[in-house]
Amino acid sequence: MDWLFKEDDYIPQNDKDTFIDRTIGAFLKLLSNIKRANKYVGVKYIYLISPFVKFICTILTIILISTAKSVIFVGIVVTALYIMCFMVNGEDRKKIYTLNMIIPTFTLIMLLPSIILGNFNNSVMIVLKVMGTITSVNILAYTTKWHIITKALKFLFIPDIFIFVMDITIRYIYLLGEFSLDMLYALRLRTVGRNRRKQTSIAQLIGTLFLKSKEMGNEVYSAMECRGFVGEYEVYNKFKFTKRDISYCMIYAIFVILYLGIIYLKL
Amino acid sequence: MHIPDNYLSPSTCVVLGAAMIPVWKRAAVKVKNEISRKKLPMLGVCAAFSFLTMMFNVPVPGGTSAHAVGSALIAILLGPWAAVISITIALVIQALFFGDGGILALGANTFNMAFIMPFTAYYTYKLIKGNSQSDKRSYAAAFIAGYLSINLAALCAAVQFGIQPLLFKDNSGLPLYCPYSLKFSIPAMLIPHLLVAGFVEGIVSAGVLAYIKRVSPESVYGDDKLSIKPLYVLIFSMILLTPIGLFAAGTAWGEWNLTEMKKLNGFIPQGMKNGVSFNAIMKDYLLAGHSEKIGYIASAVVGVILILVIFKIINRLISKKQNTAED
Repeated sequence: MDWLFKEDDYIPQNDKDTFIDRTIGAFLKLLSNIKRANKYVGVKYIYLISPFVKFICTILTIILISTAKSVIFVGIVVTALYIMCFMVNGEDRKKIYTLNMIIPTFTLIMLLPSIILGNFNNSVMIVLKVMGTITSVNILAYTTKWHIITKALKFLFIPDIFIFVMDITIRYIYLLGEFSLDMLYALRLRTVGRNRRKQTSIAQLIGTLFLKSKEMGNEVYSAMECRGFVGEYEVYNKFKFTKRDISYCMIYAIFVILYLGIIYLKL
Repeated sequence: MHIPDNYLSPSTCVVLGAAMIPVWKRAAVKVKNEISRKKLPMLGVCAAFSFLTMMFNVPVPGGTSAHAVGSALIAILLGPWAAVISITIALVIQALFFGDGGILALGANTFNMAFIMPFTAYYTYKLIKGNSQSDKRSYAAAFIAGYLSINLAALCAAVQFGIQPLLFKDNSGLPLYCPYSLKFSIPAMLIPHLLVAGFVEGIVSAGVLAYIKRVSPESVYGDDKLSIKPLYVLIFSMILLTPIGLFAAGTAWGEWNLTEMKKLNGFIPQGMKNGVSFNAIMKDYLLAGHSEKIGYIASAVVGVILILVIFKIINRLISKKQNTAED
């Protein structure tokens, strides 16, 4: 036992293992995103709109923005969506605005050579459109419970069975995400000094994750079979159209009128 | 490689989305037959796995890290059709909830990453691995499958970007969507994939396969017999499509004859003037007395038959050698 009390002069070698930190960061972000999306997030207007209405309106906006040829229309819609962001809770609103700074900036950098060569108007249009679609999707994702959005896919004639698989996917992204995070912490704690086989570590993590997925898949199947699941699944939508939903639809109706009006007036 | 919205024209997105519908339908039928309808929850868990695979950062020389797409690995582990469904669902979730990749561009993204990539990977893996039981050969096959498939998917994305300025212009001739033509989009997409991402994908595919084979060999997709039928269908449809070349104006780059050369350069290089002249049996892919299209198709059939015969002979020679070695 004496050796336990002896001081070691072991100095671990420095190592660049940012890949573990980055992966841990990515998983933490993912898990917090899912957690946030599945708790009741607020009582503000935008949180109370029916998810189905929000989903359909979002898809409609994206189609309108993508097919629009008038910069005035896209400009107005982007401004309106930015204003709508104020209805999102503080922390999430900041995240949406940050995303709205990063991705369009990236697009702008990518388009710079083309702008320098004289293609200014169309490039500005692409950046504006990117801003519009990102804001619109993020408002939906940050203010709605995800498993209800998957149910709304039924409106797009997507078979029930796909919706069912997607539902399970979202739940298991969380469960398997937590499992991966534990593995990553374990790897972090046990890595002392230089790890010369980083690729092997990652391959082993992904491999273990695959085996765990198979095991969990079998378990969930058995559990469902015990409860009477025979492979049929039907999505029921309890959908009620409230006054709030109507008012929300009005905003988007204005977008459609504007879109058609601009085409008609050839602006 | 996730293409955002508005980089591609809406019509491109619709065309690629429409192209994916039969693939999804076929995948749904295939998977139902293979894993039975009751095991559908399993597919959801596998989709979650493919989503998470994309989140692991792999260290790259130089101190930074990159992430793999994982389509090749999933195709090898689960089979190509289950891969189509699970990667599609992973991509839908990324687009809807994480803003990674566009919603209208889902058709394009699924075409590249949930169709081209898993199928290239699966068939490359099976063709290279063959009937061999050697582990090393199967890891090498997985590496090449990963490397090749991500590069092919990147090439598809590059072509989708590159055709935008050719097809969609405003009144003054300026590009409406992605402004860079194939000349720029292909190197921009392929150089990083050939140099870095391809290796990352290959390492992940081979490494994870090696680990799973060691720990739990029964977990790998069992269908060991490679069905070559789809390849025959592909070859047959390519034969039928060969006359498409007739629509192209001009001659393929570098395949000019002497008169075209003179038109382009203004002179004929001395060495070429009296160069070798070879009279092929089916010159310019034409058959005397038949239309151009039939000539093209016939040439393609002859070409394919010749290649198959050559490969058969090589195969026979190799197996003879192996037999004598075993004796």
